[in-house]
Amino acid sequence: MRNVSVIGGGMSLFRRRLKETGKELSFLASKMAMEEAGVQRSDIDMVVMGSAPDAFDGIHMKGENLLDGAGGKDKPYVRVFNGGGTGVFAPIAGWWHVASGVADMVMVVCEEKMGSCNPHPQTAFRNIWDPILDRPLNPNLVWLFAMEMNRYMTRYDIKKEDIARVAVKNKRNAVGHPCAQLPDANITVEDVLNSEMMAWPVNRLDISPPSDGASALIYCSEEKAKEFTDDPINVAGVGWNIDSSMWTNRDLYFPDYVANAAKMAYKMAGINDPRKEIDFAEPYDPFTYKELHHLEGLLLCDKGEAPILTREGVTERDGDLPVCPSGGLLGVGNPIAATMGQKVCELYWQLAGKAGKRQIPGDPQVGVGQAWGDIMQMGTVLVMRRG
Amino acid sequence: MTYLEKQSNPLDPVHFRGNLQADYLYTSGAAGDKFFKHIMENDSFLASECEECGTVFCPPRLYCEDCFVEIPDEKWKEVPAKGTVRLFTTAMLNTFGEPLEVPKIIGLIDIEGTDSSMLGILKTKDQKQDLTGITVEAVFRPTQEREGTLKDILYFNESG
Repeated sequence: MRNVSVIGGGMSLFRRRLKETGKELSFLASKMAMEEAGVQRSDIDMVVMGSAPDAFDGIHMKGENLLDGAGGKDKPYVRVFNGGGTGVFAPIAGWWHVASGVADMVMVVCEEKMGSCNPHPQTAFRNIWDPILDRPLNPNLVWLFAMEMNRYMTRYDIKKEDIARVAVKNKRNAVGHPCAQLPDANITVEDVLNSEMMAWPVNRLDISPPSDGASALIYCSEEKAKEFTDDPINVAGVGWNIDSSMWTNRDLYFPDYVANAAKMAYKMAGINDPRKEIDFAEPYDPFTYKELHHLEGLLLCDKGEAPILTREGVTERDGDLPVCPSGGLLGVGNPIAATMGQKVCELYWQLAGKAGKRQIPGDPQVGVGQAWGDIMQMGTVLVMRRG
Repeated sequence: MTYLEKQSNPLDPVHFRGNLQADYLYTSGAAGDKFFKHIMENDSFLASECEECGTVFCPPRLYCEDCFVEIPDEKWKEVPAKGTVRLFTTAMLNTFGEPLEVPKIIGLIDIEGTDSSMLGILKTKDQKQDLTGITVEAVFRPTQEREGTLKDILYFNESG
């Protein structure tokens, strides 16, 4: 396998409902990534599109609909998706295009236009359940994650205040992000705890918003990257893993599928001690507790330890292990697949010293991004490293 | 082995009925917004021209899919709502396979002054086998009834 470098990234604004179509959002993000990389559409050999279920945008086969905005016309083009895991899985698919040698330069574009789904994308989420065994009871995702959050809190005797700190950290981090939908420089733990109770123990500010948005990333072989930079940023490892859809039979306190994906990625990256060798992390944070859950799944701390690290400030931007320096999904927004912008593009921007106001101090060498999806099943992990 | 048993009554197995709720509010886009606002008040179209390759898009686009550049406002122009039929068919059945009372002629119309074609319903002066190359003009709803959607164009009528 060849080494694969990242040479550019781009993101559109993330908002609850944007005027632009999905194609137009894809174009804006793609154009930004191409400008950052200093390449033209003609330089790109292949395009990978990541976009979650068609039901969000309301266009069946939306990959085909989006392709001209993603620069895919007359090129080998494929759409990949695995629900919420897509934001990190699409760049994994882009990576294997270059690593395998079939392409020298690949653009990965991720798009989601959840604002089209009326009145709320929750109506699309209602249909991800088993139609015979789950759906007759009208379950929704907030119920499900409330149960998982409760299990996690009960297992380790975690206080809700410590979970609420994740929303405070990420919404404050997002203040430095030009695309952010819900940045808040002044939010407090009390604000989170006092926000509307949606399904105990989930308050409204524990949840990321639905969003419209797109993001893009450009890869090339490490050899080709030397034409663009003296300091290449490389994909060091990738991993993905999925657990059973029989979620009712699993103990939800720990995401084994994330740990499996992380181990696969770390092995490829030659990482033996992730806690020492990884400088910062972008775990998937659609809910506050998920960041903590995923930090543990990524083996960056012991089981049940993530809330303590958060309380002690270890995961702040200037802490020992900055977590979600982008502002995450809680602060920047959650256009499902397009969260590649926070989970993978952010790794590149941080490692390349291009993160502006969000730049973490020191000289980070290794970062890990992760996404999660389906019915608490899918873990997707990507490790990026300087040089 | 071939499975030969035929399930003749779909209601025989234990079952329940369901449906997938799907209600959407589609935004017409940055380019579409201008186009549809224009046809609410005008009997003409807007088009946008790529600065690099000169392709004229109608309905207008925010970007050129080939050159991958954004099309600036100054490269937008008004074009007449008429053109030439390039492709057509006559539908005899509706989506559910039932005969249409009046067969529906659908065509692709090369819009004058552009490099683009639009899908439209065609009306002709008399029955013809081949509509290729005939000139047509858009017939819009009365201005006060327009809603800013493609349905503001009722059909394209044979002209000349």
